[in-house]
Amino acid sequence: MADPIIAGLGVVALMGAAATIAGAAEDLESDTGSMSNPNSQVQLAPQMGNLHRIFNKAVSGEPVQMGSWAGIAGSIAFVLLSLNLPAVMAIAGGAAVAALVHAAFATSSHLGRIVSVSKFKQPLFLDVVTEHLGPIAGHGFIVTFTIVGVSYLMTLPIQGLAHPFPLPMLAVLWGITIGAIGSSTGDIHYGGEREYQQYPFGGGIPVRIHGDITRRAELGARNSLDAVNFCAKYGGPVTGFCFGSIVFFSFWSTVVGGIFGSISGAILPGNSDTNTALAVGTGILLIIIILIIIINNRMEVFARNKYGPYLK
Amino acid sequence: MVVDPLYIIGAVAIGGVLIGGGVHFIPVGGAPAAIATATGVGTGTPMLAAGGGMTGLITAAAATTSPLWLVLLAGGAGSALMLGITMLVGNWVYIWGVGCVPSSAKVKYDPITKYEQSKFVTPGTEGHGIPTVCFVSGIIGGLLSGFGGALAYYFLYYGLIGTSGYAIPAGAYVSLGAATLAGTFSLGLFFVNSVIASFNIGGTIEGFHDPKFARLPRGALACIIASAVVGGLGVLLVQGGSF
Repeated sequence: MADPIIAGLGVVALMGAAATIAGAAEDLESDTGSMSNPNSQVQLAPQMGNLHRIFNKAVSGEPVQMGSWAGIAGSIAFVLLSLNLPAVMAIAGGAAVAALVHAAFATSSHLGRIVSVSKFKQPLFLDVVTEHLGPIAGHGFIVTFTIVGVSYLMTLPIQGLAHPFPLPMLAVLWGITIGAIGSSTGDIHYGGEREYQQYPFGGGIPVRIHGDITRRAELGARNSLDAVNFCAKYGGPVTGFCFGSIVFFSFWSTVVGGIFGSISGAILPGNSDTNTALAVGTGILLIIIILIIIINNRMEVFARNKYGPYLK
Repeated sequence: MVVDPLYIIGAVAIGGVLIGGGVHFIPVGGAPAAIATATGVGTGTPMLAAGGGMTGLITAAAATTSPLWLVLLAGGAGSALMLGITMLVGNWVYIWGVGCVPSSAKVKYDPITKYEQSKFVTPGTEGHGIPTVCFVSGIIGGLLSGFGGALAYYFLYYGLIGTSGYAIPAGAYVSLGAATLAGTFSLGLFFVNSVIASFNIGGTIEGFHDPKFARLPRGALACIIASAVVGGLGVLLVQGGSF
């Protein structure tokens, strides 16, 4: 039989891999629907006289939205698991129902968003609605499937895991977290670069050009699928890396800490051995945090030296 | 272990202040930051604080059966880890995806590194990215809000397992029902206090060096009042007998 700590690390690595896919898909889903803060520019564009064919479904915060979809998928998967369905089928069933709800939400929110700027002569393109719904629901399915998968693995009675929260609740918590991450990382690539690609690369977006978003593609009018094609090369993967790292390192406190003492998440009672393991594991997390601060500072120095100051 | 109702109200109130106070440290630039027009993380204050808090709650709950100091430490570390990695990767996108230098227009020099800021700010913007001072401030905010969520979770959990409905079942070491309810309650506490803090700072802040940080005492007062009321509801939840 495999060493319990090695088995725990293996499961955590699998969770990290699933979370990486979830993060990348989440960012691309939000780029398809202009879900996060860059939607402000999509909403502003018609008011500045720039009519567009971009999908906009931002009627709630991205974390709340992803928490809802993951919660729906997790709850249905939980029910299907209690009916003794195989885990993969149960999770896929939950994610499929969440994808249907997601598509309905995307349709009504896009219609509402576009109608709200109709007084600025922004038309509603029905082909834009039908073209984008598939990729939105598809990316959403990948996110909810992997998030519920990660949550399911967390509840398994494995050393260092066996989390006390039930599957639906873990799904909601990770859903909110992944929404916050996607909104904070990959969406900047969409908002700060792809939305303003007609301006030179290498700088922030001055207030005077707000609303003047790029509306022409290589051929014809640009739509949100073009944005996904672009962001899939950088914004999506780094968002995946971010969420994957967070999920992976979050369990170092219990799994790697377990090397220094007997530990099994919340399954074993609090004894000195467990506490030592948790204290060492949490100490490792704090060391990682200090390393992250140093790495960030080195990056800042690199950027200052590489790009230099702005010339008058 | 029977938890006095006043302890629950006190823990939730202090937890709320730590969450609300922590949010003041987290550098969030909202929609302007998402298009590299303002310094900070490009999302809304309550969203980022809640996202960090959720990770802290998950790591704190994994230490449910441990002593209070360890639950607090696990919560703080989890929350700070989430914010740290998110800010780091956010800076990757600012530097290599958008092509700008992390800098702030609100201070001439970074108070920690003493790097000059104004020369690196794109004209017409208020800065972009997450310079070192904002990054360190965000880590402090993550630690504080993680402590706060874990504190409320710990006392509610132990309050609940003292009741017959949520007692730890024979043969188990943890009450899943109590952990779930305490976790849900702490989740709500995160949203309540991060929204109050967001109102107080007007949506965006760069960290402890931002002039808006001076509003912290007013925000903390609002958070302690709101959290004490939430704590009272928590006592009803535990002692009310309706569950």
